[in-house]
Amino acid sequence: MSSKRSCQVFLLTLCLLLTSLPASAARAPRVATPKPIVFEPVVEEQFVFGKVDQDLLSEIKLLDERFEKEGAVFHEKNLDTYLTRVGMAVVADKKLENVEWKFRALRDPTPNAFALPNGSIYINTGLLALLDDENQLAAVIAHEITHVSERHTYLRNRSLRKMMLAMNIINTIGNWNPIGGPAGLAISLIASVSPFMLAISILGYSKDQEKEADLEGLKAAAAAGFVPDGMPNSFKAMQRDVEGEQLNSFYSDHPKLQERVNYTSSSISADARKLTEDEAKTAKSDYLAVMEIADRHNVELAINEGRFRSAVFVSQKLVSLHPESTENVFYLAESYRTLGPRNAELTDQQRTSGAKKKAAKTRAKRTLEEQDAELLKTPEGQATWKVNSEKAETLFLRALELNRFNASAHRGLGMLYERLDRKHDAAGEYAKYLELAPNAIDTERVRRRLAVLRESMN
Amino acid sequence: MRLCVRFVFVILCCAFVHYGAARAEAQYLNPKIVEKKVTIRSAAILPAKVEIVKESAKGSEMMVAESADISVSVMEAVGYTLQQKKISVVPNQFEPASMDDSRKYQLADIQTRYDALLPKLVDKSKDVKKARFTLGDEVMLLNVHKDADVLVFIRGQGRMFTKGKTAFSIINIFDLDFPFATITVGIVDARSGEVLAFTKPLSASKVLKDKKALNKMIEKSFKKLPATSTP
Repeated sequence: MSSKRSCQVFLLTLCLLLTSLPASAARAPRVATPKPIVFEPVVEEQFVFGKVDQDLLSEIKLLDERFEKEGAVFHEKNLDTYLTRVGMAVVADKKLENVEWKFRALRDPTPNAFALPNGSIYINTGLLALLDDENQLAAVIAHEITHVSERHTYLRNRSLRKMMLAMNIINTIGNWNPIGGPAGLAISLIASVSPFMLAISILGYSKDQEKEADLEGLKAAAAAGFVPDGMPNSFKAMQRDVEGEQLNSFYSDHPKLQERVNYTSSSISADARKLTEDEAKTAKSDYLAVMEIADRHNVELAINEGRFRSAVFVSQKLVSLHPESTENVFYLAESYRTLGPRNAELTDQQRTSGAKKKAAKTRAKRTLEEQDAELLKTPEGQATWKVNSEKAETLFLRALELNRFNASAHRGLGMLYERLDRKHDAAGEYAKYLELAPNAIDTERVRRRLAVLRESMN
Repeated sequence: MRLCVRFVFVILCCAFVHYGAARAEAQYLNPKIVEKKVTIRSAAILPAKVEIVKESAKGSEMMVAESADISVSVMEAVGYTLQQKKISVVPNQFEPASMDDSRKYQLADIQTRYDALLPKLVDKSKDVKKARFTLGDEVMLLNVHKDADVLVFIRGQGRMFTKGKTAFSIINIFDLDFPFATITVGIVDARSGEVLAFTKPLSASKVLKDKKALNKMIEKSFKKLPATSTP
């Protein structure tokens, strides 16, 4: 065989080898078809930490500290205790090298949760507010615990590194392929297709890990005494898609929610414990009571980030829990005020894939103020704003009926009236706010608004 | 012949990178600044968020500690540049150790508001000239030093290449994969929240580790911002 021929054969073999390598790597951890839960003691496989893993761990620890420093973590004594209790119940006596279990709420109104490989589990306030009971929370935590205990981050990091190296080599071969003829063409073709296939393999690997975390998490939560239905029910809660953000993207790292509901439901044995209707009701109100402060905080975050429908959804939950609470009624009023010309719940038309994509584009291009202004140009937007502003006013007044010293309700009314161009009323409400809360953090802001209003009235 | 063209291209690209030809500064001013309706005398610089990653042939790695250090360096460089423009910088009120939870939350919320606006600012920077962008008067919740006329938001990204990655990037020069640093600086009215100025300098990532080069880059990016002249 000539040296040119052997070179061609070598390059072709290398390309094919590199293309098939990650695909087989991705297949390795594939989870078997779900079976009914059998409670078996978990046998820990020894995970040996390499330098790459240690490096990742030290970066992760710094990242963990940064979340605290930057005010990303929500601290409330009762909530912290509660999350730790549920989390540690699922963890049981699982002790792992380089893992220190911590369960914290992250100040983020998007429904999400994640785990760092050092054992820090973060659940967004947006997800806490979306869930209905402790069993669902335990399921979410159990899913994240599985990511940690199965060392998914380290394994994914290792796998990614191998694949990236392969991609770089293939790319280089493609760019500098000196071989002509059919063999050269074949190499160029493989080199151009391979990075795409590798990228797909990288993402697919993660999808398998997610499925594993769902199924193993379900087992762990059930073993800790939580109702197994919590897992599929947590996905159902996420399916609400209050903001209309769940798009059928080409590829996402989690399996589709309905698929997750199906395979987790089918893996629960028929005789597994289920909640009766009364138990479910009690579990829901107990959970809401624990989450009340976090939910209020989440409403503020949702409003700050322009997630107005989520704010209405959560504050409605709060009012249903304590309809006589002036704070809860205030939060619902504030949610309707900031909702502006948007409808509180998405219509069927707004839930279609096309409408969601269009809405996502609008969000990316327009500021919130511009979106408001555009909606207010339409008759539907004007009608919706009329309804929302009336609801907001009624609720602010109701909050003041429940507690006439509720300064925030005066401020909210002031802002509502200002927007409705009722300047005198707005000025009056601002003045009352300043009188009731002279040392509040937004005193300067309200004082400035009042000054501008008074100037415009003169 | 084909190889010859490639080599010429490689040499041109090398020259482009080596001499920092990629350095480009874009700066956009709100008409209120241009028409001198607003004069900036004093500024409060909010904690910078500059993220750098180490890129090797095996992919990206986080550099959390280095990112924090570089964030401080960029803040200092911006402060230095503002002072050159006779804009005083109020003392830092946002040292993590000195803030309680509620203060941390206020800061985080304002930073989040800015982060939500940032993609639009980057995409349509020219619209700063049309006074299109604002963070709203919620910025007043920060209660910064009463003398501060503006808040300064700094964001950045950078890629540091390892030797292996550098080798790959040179071999695959046509992929135009280079180590770079982008920094964006937004100057926002401390009361109304209106974006008064926005700059987005781009440079080779080595400037992040060279204080002089960093100062120069930031200084250049603020070239159009008028110095305080009125008392």
